Amino acid sequence: MSDIGRIGPSTGVVPTEGAHRIPVLPRGLRRAPSGIDEVATEHLIVNMGPQHPSTHGVLHILLELDGEVVVAAEASLGYLHRGIEKLVEHRRYHQIGTLLDRADYVSGLHSETALAMAVESLAGIEVPEKAQWIRSLVMEVNRITSHMLWLGTFGLDLGAMAPFLYTMREREALLDILEAITGSRMMFNYVRPGGVLADLPAGIGVALDTFLATFDGYMDEYDTLLGGNEIFVERVRGVGVIDATTATAFGMTGACLRAAGVDYDVRKAAPYAAYAHVEFEVPLGTVGDCWDRYAVRMEELRWAGRLIRQLLDGMPEGDHTAKVPKGLRPPAGESYAAVESPRGELGIHLVSDGSDRPYRMRLRSPAYFNLAVIDEALSGGLVADAVATLGSLDIVLGEIDR
Amino acid sequence: MRPDVDATTEILTAAGVPLKEASSDTLGVVCRIEAFRLEAALAALRAVGYQTLVDLFGTDTGEAVELTYHLRRLGDLAEVYLKAIVAYDCEAPSVWRVYPAALYPEREAAELLGVSFAGHPNPKRLLTTEEVEGHLLRKDVLLRTPEEVAL
Repeated sequence: MSDIGRIGPSTGVVPTEGAHRIPVLPRGLRRAPSGIDEVATEHLIVNMGPQHPSTHGVLHILLELDGEVVVAAEASLGYLHRGIEKLVEHRRYHQIGTLLDRADYVSGLHSETALAMAVESLAGIEVPEKAQWIRSLVMEVNRITSHMLWLGTFGLDLGAMAPFLYTMREREALLDILEAITGSRMMFNYVRPGGVLADLPAGIGVALDTFLATFDGYMDEYDTLLGGNEIFVERVRGVGVIDATTATAFGMTGACLRAAGVDYDVRKAAPYAAYAHVEFEVPLGTVGDCWDRYAVRMEELRWAGRLIRQLLDGMPEGDHTAKVPKGLRPPAGESYAAVESPRGELGIHLVSDGSDRPYRMRLRSPAYFNLAVIDEALSGGLVADAVATLGSLDIVLGEIDR
Repeated sequence: MRPDVDATTEILTAAGVPLKEASSDTLGVVCRIEAFRLEAALAALRAVGYQTLVDLFGTDTGEAVELTYHLRRLGDLAEVYLKAIVAYDCEAPSVWRVYPAALYPEREAAELLGVSFAGHPNPKRLLTTEEVEGHLLRKDVLLRTPEEVAL
């Protein structure tokens, strides 16, 4: 496997300035020829989704096919649009978290933290040290649960049934721990402006220790199950290449951007919560194909495990929340706060008019920008590769449609 | 990191984009310009290394729609916000040629706030269907219960 282990520690590479290439996009879907003087091979338009096993939710993609080759691809979104940004304008600041849990329903703690940070920056709230560490801890646990779901379904997409069953075991073990901490498996509403809802319950350290004791060994197993499987490797290597210039031009973030070798991780770029106090590396790929995205996330999983260990060991004493008035009225103004969610930079842009509800809240969803690249990434490849590429992007429709 | 307000002003002025206002507040460096100069302004900022359009969205100010463009330079992590006012149901230039990342958010802003983007290659709705009336993120569109919608 050594020839495919292209992953390495951060080297500080960013694409050279001015190397931007404007893609001819979108090509749009050409319909069948309309006149007899128009000569063309017939292109077939295939609907992939919204009910398709590998569209990860209710994504609908129109694929224009020339035989088995994808000529153009267009996403049709909105099947899960609930108008969260509108609803937020009618909620008080401490009521918004529950809506955001339902935006990115696989990693709710990340969006809750982004919101809390945006509110704190507007209202000038100082968050206690302990709350910052708890936030980092639960976010890293959440990152593993999210990546485990991705790993399992990515295997399923490519015909590997077994890893899914194992990754669900890991995921459930951590969801039980998150339930013990926050009171809920997925709809947490745990991180609040000013801190977190409650202190860590007794016994959490032991529970996480038990999990971590087997985690690295299991990660090796998963790596062997998928990364050591020649069929899997052949299906992802060199497939769905998204290079660094394309990725930056489309605003991609997270593992999809880092797989192309761009060293950008919000945890390093603008450290929040307790990330300035722990040591970790940001794994980078080189080519930006499906294998690199797979390898980057596998490394991130291992680093998340190490981060949990560091955060448990260094957990300070103190309050879990600052005193925050119930009817919080931040002064008029704007703020932006971002976190590194499992999918990339998740940002909350708040506009306050001084009342107890936001005037406008914009959720900068990472998967929304990562998905926009599909025409570029799928075109020219085979239909079967489209499934691999989509799976490697790790999209969550809840946060795309909002 | 925050770039200098003066330096940003200089870049934009050199590109022939006069600023209505430039300030540095809780958000960062915010430059307000005329909407029709958006493409020139963004191209000038792209040329000095702002490779990424982090986000693009509109806000209904009660009198018009305010578009916000959030840019980032990856080298030194400098960030700049450009803001431009567009009257209701009026037009702003599409900036997808400068930043392809604008393709989706422009469609979203167009359908939810009722502005249009001239030159957008695929100006369809993004999140809602054709039957949805009104521009949902405008302040004059009220929240309704399912029962009220059924009436």
